[in-house]
Amino acid sequence: MTHDENINLPTPFSRRRMLQGSAVGFGSLALASMLADESRADSARIDPLDPKLPQLVAKAKRVIFLFMKGGPSHLDTFDPKPLLDRDDGKPLPFAKPRVQFAPTGNLLKSPWKFRQYGESGAFVSELFPHLARYVDDICFVHSVHGTNPAHGGAVLKLHTGSDSFVRPSIGSWVSYGLGTDNANLPAFVTICPTLAHGGINNWGSAFLPAAYQGTPIGNASIPSDQAKIRYISNSNLPKAVQRLELERLKAMNREHQAASGPDPSLEARINSFELAFRMQTAMPLVEDLSDESAATRQLYGMDDPINANFGRMCLMARRFAERGVRFIQVTHSDSKVQWDQHSDLKNGHEKNAREVDKPIAGLLCDLKSRGLLEDTLVWWGGEFGRTPTVEGTNGRDHNPEGFTMWLAGGGAKPGLHYGTTDDYGFYAAEDKVHIHDLHASILHLLGLDHERLTYRYAGRDFRLTDVEGNVVHKLFA
Amino acid sequence: MRSVCWIGFFYIVSSTVFLTNASADDGLTSEQLRFFEASIRPLLVEKCQTCHGPDKQWGALRLDTRDAILKGGETGPAIVPGKPEESLIVKAIRRTGDELKMPPKEALSERQIADLVRWVEMGAPFPHTAGPSKPKHRDPDHWSFRPVIQPTVPQTQNTAWASGPWDQFILAKLEQANIVPTDRANPRTLMRRATFDLTGLPPTPDEIVEFLVDDRPDAYARLIDRLLASPSYGERWGRHWLDVARYADSNGLDENVAHGNAWRYRDYVVSSLNQDLPYDEFLTEQLAGDLLSASDDETRSRHLIATGFLAIGPKVLAEVDETKMQMDIIDEQIDTVGRAMLGLTLGCARCHDHKFDPIDTSDYYGLAGIFKSTRTMEHFKKVARWYENPLPSVEAQSRKASYDSHVAQLKDVIKGVVEKGDASVKSTLPAGDAPATSAQLESKYPDEIKTQLKRLRDELVQLERTAPEMPSAMGATEDAVVDVAIHIRGNPLKLGDVVPRRVPHVLSGQSEPKFDSHQSGRIELARWLTDPNHPLTSRVFVNRVWRWHFGKGLVRSIDNFGLLGEQPTHPELLDGLARKFMRQRWSIKRLHRQLMESSTYQLDSDLGKDTSNQMETDPENRLFGRAELHRLEAEAIRDSLIAVGDSLDRTLGQSLLTVKNRAYFFDHTSKDLTDYRSSRRSIYLPVVRNNVYDVFQLLDYPDAAVPNGDRPTTTIAPQALMMMNSEFVEQCTANFAALIWNDQVKTDNERIELAYLRAYGRQPTAHEVAASRAYLNDVARAFSSTQASPEQQQKLSWNSLCHVIVSSNEFIYVK
Repeated sequence: MTHDENINLPTPFSRRRMLQGSAVGFGSLALASMLADESRADSARIDPLDPKLPQLVAKAKRVIFLFMKGGPSHLDTFDPKPLLDRDDGKPLPFAKPRVQFAPTGNLLKSPWKFRQYGESGAFVSELFPHLARYVDDICFVHSVHGTNPAHGGAVLKLHTGSDSFVRPSIGSWVSYGLGTDNANLPAFVTICPTLAHGGINNWGSAFLPAAYQGTPIGNASIPSDQAKIRYISNSNLPKAVQRLELERLKAMNREHQAASGPDPSLEARINSFELAFRMQTAMPLVEDLSDESAATRQLYGMDDPINANFGRMCLMARRFAERGVRFIQVTHSDSKVQWDQHSDLKNGHEKNAREVDKPIAGLLCDLKSRGLLEDTLVWWGGEFGRTPTVEGTNGRDHNPEGFTMWLAGGGAKPGLHYGTTDDYGFYAAEDKVHIHDLHASILHLLGLDHERLTYRYAGRDFRLTDVEGNVVHKLFA
Repeated sequence: MRSVCWIGFFYIVSSTVFLTNASADDGLTSEQLRFFEASIRPLLVEKCQTCHGPDKQWGALRLDTRDAILKGGETGPAIVPGKPEESLIVKAIRRTGDELKMPPKEALSERQIADLVRWVEMGAPFPHTAGPSKPKHRDPDHWSFRPVIQPTVPQTQNTAWASGPWDQFILAKLEQANIVPTDRANPRTLMRRATFDLTGLPPTPDEIVEFLVDDRPDAYARLIDRLLASPSYGERWGRHWLDVARYADSNGLDENVAHGNAWRYRDYVVSSLNQDLPYDEFLTEQLAGDLLSASDDETRSRHLIATGFLAIGPKVLAEVDETKMQMDIIDEQIDTVGRAMLGLTLGCARCHDHKFDPIDTSDYYGLAGIFKSTRTMEHFKKVARWYENPLPSVEAQSRKASYDSHVAQLKDVIKGVVEKGDASVKSTLPAGDAPATSAQLESKYPDEIKTQLKRLRDELVQLERTAPEMPSAMGATEDAVVDVAIHIRGNPLKLGDVVPRRVPHVLSGQSEPKFDSHQSGRIELARWLTDPNHPLTSRVFVNRVWRWHFGKGLVRSIDNFGLLGEQPTHPELLDGLARKFMRQRWSIKRLHRQLMESSTYQLDSDLGKDTSNQMETDPENRLFGRAELHRLEAEAIRDSLIAVGDSLDRTLGQSLLTVKNRAYFFDHTSKDLTDYRSSRRSIYLPVVRNNVYDVFQLLDYPDAAVPNGDRPTTTIAPQALMMMNSEFVEQCTANFAALIWNDQVKTDNERIELAYLRAYGRQPTAHEVAASRAYLNDVARAFSSTQASPEQQQKLSWNSLCHVIVSSNEFIYVK
C-alpha cells in the first residue's frame, strides 16, 4: 500500500476526525449549535464508541478470545509427532534456539495418545475429548511463532503486538475500529484476566482514547461467580434515591452549564451519568444466568465443580456476544502454575484441560446452535507452546518458536489444518504464521485492514502490527 | 527491536519533477544521456529514492547523485562502476543474498534489472545536477534548532490591557485577528483557579475570605507568593515533572517488581520544586548527580537520588538476550532524555536515521556511548537487577555500627558460654577421649548451660532480624568508558562504525562539548543541555510550564519540538520567556509569577456577549483570548474529594509501598497487594505500572512507561460509575456531610451555604438553597420506606446532598 506521513488517509480513523467526532474533542462549533436547540441536546450524544462501518467486507462481528495463560503444549494437544514418540529420550537432532528460557534435555514423548476425529481427520489428544467433537468447525494454525520466550514478553506480544513498549491491546484496536453495537455495555470486556505479566497493559488502550480500554470483570484470583465490573452497583444506596441523586445532579449541571457557556466536555459528562445508569442496569442482566436452561448450563459443564468456574466464564462470553460486545476475552489461569508445566506435565495439563475442555466445547456448540458462530470468531491459545525436549524429568519449557492456536467461526475456514512444525515440533516449519500475521488476519476477518487501522500519536501513525504482518488469506472460508 | 522502525515500508510514488537538466559538459554521450533519462532515472525515482533520496536515507544511503551512489551507505558503496557482479545494488535487486533484497516488498521486473545492470556496466553515467534537492523533512534549519532570539515587543492599539511585555505578544495577535479578549475573571474565580493551578487543592473558605477582603493593590501577587511558598506547590508541580520523568514505584512490563526506593526520587523532585532549585541544576543533578561534588552527606544523598531519573524506566527484566536488554535500557534512557529535556524523539534513530528530524543513527550511538559508560544495572542475567547507590548517612552508619557491635558482643558472650560448657564436659571425660565435634560436645553440656546457650542464640536470631537496612537509591554510577558502534538496523549482532561519544550534530552548534576520556560524559551532556545557547532546553521547559497554566502549550505538541511537532503559535513570546527564564537563573517560581500576573492568565473563561465572535474566529483558543474551562486531573479530583471533608493528611514524603523493594506486585495468583486506602495526597500513592490505581486509570492518569508532558481529558461512563458507586467517594461524602453537620452550624440554610463554600468556593444562590432543601426532603421521604430512623433518614439525606454536590461538574471543572 502507499503510505506517506503527509497523507491524512480518508478513513474513519484519522485522529482529526476522531477528535471532531468525539464527545471529548473540541468540535465546539458543531456542538454549540446543537446545544442551542435544547430539545435535540440529549439525542445529540456523540460517542467515540458509536458503531463504525468496517473498511473491508467483514465476516466476523466480534471475537471471543479464550486465553490459556501459561502456554499449553501443542505437542500434547493438537500437534502429535510420531518421531517424538520414536526418539523419546534421545537428543534433539538439530540445534535449539539461540535464546531459551530454561535449559532442557533430550526429547520427551507425549504422555497422551492421539486419535483422529471428524471428517477433517484432525488429531486430538486424550486431553480434549469434548472439544474433539467439533474439530470440523475449527481452523487449526499449527505454525504460530514469534512471541517471546518469557511469559511477560509473550503475553504482551500476544495481546498488544509489542513485547517492549506499552501499546494498545488488540481488543482496544478492534473497539477503536468498529465501535460497539450496544452502548449500554462496554465494547471490550475481559473476564477474570490475570494481573501478572503485563497486567492491565494486556487490555489497556495505551495512547488510544480511554473509551477503548478493556473493562475487566474480576480478575484471575476471583471466582467467576463473584467477578464484577468495578463500581457497577451500590448496595448502600436504594435505587430510588440514586435516581433522585441523578436528577438533582442533572439539574445542577444544567444550571452550571448555562452559566459557563456551552462546552462539549460538560455536555459529555452530563451524558456519561445517564449512560452509567443504563450500564448499571444492563450489566447484571448479563451476569445473571437464571434465565439459562439446565441443559445449557450442563452444556458448559456448570453442573460439575471442575468445570463450573470456567464454564460460567464461557457462558458469560456467549451472553456478551449476543448483546453486541465486540471483543470478549476469557482467561483460564489456574491459581497455581496455569498451563506452565515446567515439571509434572502429566498432572498439570490433565487438570487444566479437564477444566476447560467441556466448557469450550459447550461454547462452540451453543454458539453454533444459536447461529452466532457464523459471525463470532472464537480464538484459542496461550502465549507460546512448549518444548519437545524435557525440562527436569517430566516437564517442558516455554517455546515461542512454533505452536498451535486455533480459530473457529467468524469466517475462519472450518476443518483446516494450516502450517506445520518440524518433525519434533520445536520450530514452525511450513507456512509459518507470525503473531503479527495472526493479528492481521483476525483484523481482516473483522473487516479491518491492519495497515489502515492507524492512530496518530507522538508524531507517528501506529498500528497493531507495527510495520509487520501479512494477512493469511488461506485461513479464511 | 525498537518498534519505531520504518524499514519494511516501501513507497511507490508517481514520478516527480526531478532536479535540473544535465549540463553539456558532463562527458556523457547523448546515447548514455538518453538511456539514463529514459530507463534509469525513472527507475531510481520510482523504486528507490523514496527511501534513499532527499527525504529519507535508509541505511545512510541515497541514490540521487553519482557521488552519493559511489559513497554508498552503511553496507558500503552501492555500485562499483563497470562491475555489476561486485555492485551491492545489483545483488540487492537480483535478491540473491539472504538479507539484502530491494525493493523490499516487490521485486523489479527482469527488464528493469537488465537495465540497471547495463547501466552499471556502462560505468554508471549520471548527469551532473545542481546538487541534491532540499529535503522536506530532516531540515536542520527547523525553527526549534535555531538560536533563541531576543524578540522585539510588539506595539498594540490597546495600551491599557497588558500587564507586561508578555501580554503585548498575546494582544498583538488578538488584535490582528480582531478578537477582543474576555474580561478579567472575578476575584473569586481567579483565586480558585490560582489555588488549583499551584497546589492542586481547592481553596478553603478561610483562604477565600482572606483574599476577598484584602484590598491592598498587590493582594493578587501576595496570593501567588503564599501559594508558591506552600509545600503543596511542590506536590502539585512535582507531579507534573514526574509525568515527564515516567515515574513509577514498580517496573511494570514483564516482571512487575517494586521500585522500593523510587520514592526517594519522587521526594527529591517535590523538595527541589519547593526550594526553587534552578532548572539547570535540577537537570544536571538528574543526569549526573553522582559526578557532582558535595560538601555534606545530605547534599551527596540528594545528588545520588536525583540520578534515579535515569534508572526508573520500565525494563524487560526477563529478557533472555542480555545484549539486547542492555541496549534496550540505554535506548529507554536516550528516548526519555530526548523527550523530557529536548522535546525530540531520539529513540527513532536507533534503527535508522530519524525519518523526520535531522538525527542520524550516528547521533544516536554517539549518545549511546554516554549511557553505556554509565551503570544503572547490577547485572543483566534473567531476572535482571537494577543498581542502587548506597546513600551516605551518618545516622544510618551509626545505627549500623551500633548494631554491628551489639551482634559482636552477643557472639562473644555465646563464645564464652560455649568455652565454659566445653571445659565442663572435658573435665568430666578421661583424657584423650574428647568427642570430635562441637555438636557432640554440646549435647553433653549441663542443662543450665544448655538453657543459657539456647536463650542467647535465640536472642541473636532476633537481633539479626532487626539488622538496619542501609539506605540506597535507584540511580546511576560510572562504568567503563566505551564508545559504541552503530547497530545496523538496531541489531546488536550487526555492527557498523564506532561513534565517539558526542551530542547530535544538528544541535551541537557552537557549544559542541568535549568528552572526558575518563568519564561517561553525563556531566558534559548536562552542561551542554543547560548552556544558555542551547536552542531547546529552555524553550521546551517554558512551554511545559505554560501548558500547565493555560491548558495548552505555545507549542501544542508538548513533548515534540521536532519537524512533526507543531509550530509555536507565538514564537517570539516563547523565545522571550525562554531568555527571561535563563536570565532569571532558571528560577521556576519566578516564571510562575510572570505567567500568573499576566492579564492573559487572569482572563475570564466566560465569553460574555462575545462581541468579537471569538468562538468562530478562534474556536480552539490558539490565540489565548480567553481562559478555558478545564477538568481537574486525577490527583486533584481525588485530593479535592478528601479535602472537602477536611480529611486530607498533609504529611510530606516517604513511602506508602506495602511491597518490599524488588518484590513482585503480582504473582500468578493475580492478588492485588496494593492498598490505596490512604488519606495522603495523591502524589504519594504508589504508582504501579501495569496496575495503576483504578480511580486514576479512569481519570486519564498518564501511562507511566513513557514521558508525558500533556494529559488528555476524556469523559467516559465508568468515571460516572466510580462517582456513583465507589466506596472511596462514599467515604469522602460521609466525611464531608459530617463536617457540614457539626455543632457550630445551626440551620439547614447555613449548612447548605457551608457545603457550597467548601465545594465550590462560593455562596449558593437563593434558588440553590431552596432546591437543596426540597431535595433533602425528597430523599428523606425516599428513605422513609426503609428501616432508617428519622434521625438516620436526615443524616442519609445530607450524605446524599453532599454526594450530588461533589459529583457535579462545578466540583471538578475550574473556570
